[in-house]
Amino acid sequence: MDLLKALAIGAMFGVGVFQMLRRNVIRSTIGLIIISNAVNLFLLATGAYQGVAAAYVNEAGQRSDALPQALVLTAIVISMAGFSLVLALLYMLSTRYHTSDSDEIAELKN
Amino acid sequence: MLLILPLLLTLVGAALAALYGHPSLNRRLTITQAAWLLAVLPLAAFVFFLSRLPAIADGGALVFTVDWMPSLGMGASLYLDNLSALFLLLVSGIGTIVVIYTGYYFKGDNSAWRFLAYLLLFMAMMLGVLLAGDVITLFVFWEGTSLTSFLLIAYKYKDEAARRGAFKSLFITGGGGIALLAGLLFVGSVAGGTDYVTILRSGDLLRASPLYSVMLGLIAFGAFTKSAQAPAHIWLPDAMSAPTPASAYLHSATMVKAGVYLLARLNPALGLTETWFWLLTGFGLVTMLTGAYLGLKQHDLKALLAYSTVSQLGVLVMLIGNDTSAAFKALVISVVAHALYKSALFLTVGIVDHEAGTRDLRRLGGLRRAMPWTCRVAMVAALSMAGLPPMFGFLAKETLLAAVMHPTISPAGIALLAAATVLAGALILAQAGTLIWDTFFGRPRDPHVHAHEAPRWMIAMPAIPALLSLAFGLLPEPEGMAVFFANAAAAAYGDKVKVSLALWAGITPPLILSIVAVSLGLALWASRGRVRALQQRLPESISFNALHTAALGLLDRGAYLATRTQAGQLRRYLAAMLVSVTALMLLFGRVPLPTTVPPFTLDELSILRIFTLVLATAAAALSIFLRRDFNAILALGASGLSVAVIMVLEPAPDVALVQVVVDILSVVILVLALSALPRAQRRRAWELTFLQSRWGLIRDGLIAVAAGAAITILTLVALTSRPRPSIVTPFYEANAKTLTGAADIVGAIVVDFRGFDTLIEIAVFGLAGIGVYTLLRYATRREWRISESASQRMGQGRISEGRISESASQRMGEPRHSPFARSLIRHSPHEYGLGDESHDRSIMGIGGTQASPFVRALARVLLPVTLILAAVQMMYGHDQAGDGFTAGVIISLAIAFWYVVFGYEETRRQLPWLRPFSLVGAGLLLVIADAVISAAVKGAFFAHLDYGKMLGLSLPRGFGLTTSFIFEVAICLTVLGGASMVLAALGHPQDVQVER
Repeated sequence: MDLLKALAIGAMFGVGVFQMLRRNVIRSTIGLIIISNAVNLFLLATGAYQGVAAAYVNEAGQRSDALPQALVLTAIVISMAGFSLVLALLYMLSTRYHTSDSDEIAELKN
Repeated sequence: MLLILPLLLTLVGAALAALYGHPSLNRRLTITQAAWLLAVLPLAAFVFFLSRLPAIADGGALVFTVDWMPSLGMGASLYLDNLSALFLLLVSGIGTIVVIYTGYYFKGDNSAWRFLAYLLLFMAMMLGVLLAGDVITLFVFWEGTSLTSFLLIAYKYKDEAARRGAFKSLFITGGGGIALLAGLLFVGSVAGGTDYVTILRSGDLLRASPLYSVMLGLIAFGAFTKSAQAPAHIWLPDAMSAPTPASAYLHSATMVKAGVYLLARLNPALGLTETWFWLLTGFGLVTMLTGAYLGLKQHDLKALLAYSTVSQLGVLVMLIGNDTSAAFKALVISVVAHALYKSALFLTVGIVDHEAGTRDLRRLGGLRRAMPWTCRVAMVAALSMAGLPPMFGFLAKETLLAAVMHPTISPAGIALLAAATVLAGALILAQAGTLIWDTFFGRPRDPHVHAHEAPRWMIAMPAIPALLSLAFGLLPEPEGMAVFFANAAAAAYGDKVKVSLALWAGITPPLILSIVAVSLGLALWASRGRVRALQQRLPESISFNALHTAALGLLDRGAYLATRTQAGQLRRYLAAMLVSVTALMLLFGRVPLPTTVPPFTLDELSILRIFTLVLATAAAALSIFLRRDFNAILALGASGLSVAVIMVLEPAPDVALVQVVVDILSVVILVLALSALPRAQRRRAWELTFLQSRWGLIRDGLIAVAAGAAITILTLVALTSRPRPSIVTPFYEANAKTLTGAADIVGAIVVDFRGFDTLIEIAVFGLAGIGVYTLLRYATRREWRISESASQRMGQGRISEGRISESASQRMGEPRHSPFARSLIRHSPHEYGLGDESHDRSIMGIGGTQASPFVRALARVLLPVTLILAAVQMMYGHDQAGDGFTAGVIISLAIAFWYVVFGYEETRRQLPWLRPFSLVGAGLLLVIADAVISAAVKGAFFAHLDYGKMLGLSLPRGFGLTTSFIFEVAICLTVLGGASMVLAALGHPQDVQVER
């Protein structure tokens, strides 16, 4: 099970990387979100315990580690903020240069 | 405690000088009057130090400490003993003189308040260096002197030489400062404390440390650059482009002595070793000779004085290196003697420059008649510089010669040191003679130079130190002063030093050497024409300026190479970063690979887990292969939702909830942004997704696989090493209910235990929203302006600037538009092939589509529902899943729906409370108010308070009007504000209005 989970997270990260390396800036944005999803899952995996119950005081049994959860919760919101900023930049670039091709934009710069 | 007083006084002086820069004061008061008034402050500091002398007359020290980081043994402390008092008296005393002199030097130029302010600021920094009681405080002020010195040298910033000189001095002394900091930190860490008391006690520990040579080298480097030791002396002559008062003060009497002071201060801790002796004596000796030799060559009076200062600094460092009681006796006398005569000479040279208009020896001469008093003052000071009796300088030279002949030095050493000292003394004497004779005597060389005597008080200023050098020499055995000097020398030496200030000590070897030096010097002076001509002809074999230039050139070259590697393609950078991080991790990360594959049991839960994992991965992978961007975004959304399910199974319900709403919102924002792009561009975008060489695709694929493999290994390690010991989580689990009243531990961490993080986080979120808004809003507007002004130039119409700020919809209706503006209009109505340009825009949603009545009714119903949902989330989030983030995002989703259905204008009209900026502001203010109130009541930021209980309100069960609840509301407001800004900006970039 752990192996499968690790493989899935790794695969998602790889997919994200591949998407980020596309010339189409919209795909790059998609890649960014996939990467941040994978990273959030990875962060959850860094918890000290494998829980069977949610991290509530009144739950019985081994509770899952609350600390990485709080971090990930923050990370999700922050990454959305960051992602909207990235998107705004990409949008600006693509309306200014009338293209969504990052290579073409780079050429225009020079 | 009182020790900080002089520091404050001079800082107040700097502030007052800056205040004098205000036009209303500047008009009423001349600079001379202002300088006289300001001089009261350094004078007060001088008097203060004098008044402290009895308290330390027994050789003790006054210490004042403020604890700063007690766990690291760091505090800010002040320290006054005889050694620092000696320097402090010089700094404040000469400072007073220089401030008054400045008033005359800049007479008629009231804008020189800036100079006065810098000067007093520098003085404060210098007092700080000398008063510091620990090496950290010392370093802070040390850097302060470098910076203020930069300001003073570059005072005439329109002059290129001044800028270059200022940069050079900052470059060299700043570089030295970095080394010094490192060295001082080593010392502090070995000694176990950064204060002088500890360090001076740990001499044996420091000398025995294996790091000794490292720290000595670093500190010596810092001190040498500051005190202009060869080869770092090159900055000092260039610093002479500063106005003369600054040169007199900083570059002869005070700042350059800082390095000497530091070495003397640390001598008891670091000295008494072979390394110390050779390092300091060697550099001091070379510097002494270099300065003396080069000084004789100069035509510029200030340069001549600068090089003789370099020479004198070499003498001082050499004396510290000698490390005998005689040497430290000579050190304190030399420091005082040099400060007195050199400041007097600089100030008189300033007068000559001021009144004759030049300080070039080739143009001066015969000024004695025009400037009789200046000439007399200069002669007295020059006699002291030449080391002739009955001046104090003579005593300095005698004690110096006695020190270099100290019996503890080997005979060969004595021969070398004595010969070098005699030679340097002769050269300096020749320079003093040249300075006086070629300026004031002989024939005028240039008929165009007309000089006249300076104001009485301007001459009085250099006269004071000049006369003091005479008075100190003539006083018959001044007992009090001798004891003071002896104590100062003892503080540097670390043991008793006997000082006698009698000029006549009988016929001794030093006196004989002195006579040799004087005769040689007179001979050099008499034949100075030939000597100087010879010097000019000799090539400058080693110029360290070339080294400096080469170092800077190398830096430039490096910067050029570094920029060459920047291709400007983000994808390349990304690939390079990913590959190197992956390689570093796999090769050097020493990640312990799990040796056993964990057991695998197939139960219901794991089937569900496997299903969601596969779903998340497959959906993500699908987003690669889907041709249309829109479909790829949907696949992304599916993947994100599957991730949320994985989180539920973790089990981490709070995170999963946020993941769900954020995923939906992200998809909505992406779709909005996508639909704002022109259709043709979107089509081209699909085509170029895979438009790449086969090799490029394979390369990217390999990078992705490598990165994925690295993450897999990391995750596997994290997962298989469970359970791990944890300290933090059990604490949170045990205290969540008792301290915060929340059953939901995650919620308790977010809004309570780590509330400060969350405060910053929502601030970031709000700022990101404002950032997006500003970017798109103003960028779009700029495009408008550019295109409109372009059309204006083409004479197609006259559109005034004022009309551009009119509402966007009005502009949309105008027939004259640039291609860009047209593209903005055109793409929206045709977006979905629907809509008509003649439609009333205000009732249209995104893409100009008029939504069906059913959808519009749905939107109207949805908003109140989400508001209730959000309220429930916030009220009960502390015991169950859900929190302010979720609440805010849920409302944002409803708002997004409204934007899509009704369009921007209509939404704004119907929801007047939706003011994103105010929401962000209100949210942040609410958190801060909340935290401040609980800080006031409970004494801790974000401490838990139950207002419901305090006010005796009867609230529904499970809901408490607490600090946490208010925090949740604030989070919700900020997130809503930020998210709606993003939605508005991305969805309707051309419509968005600046909120009023």
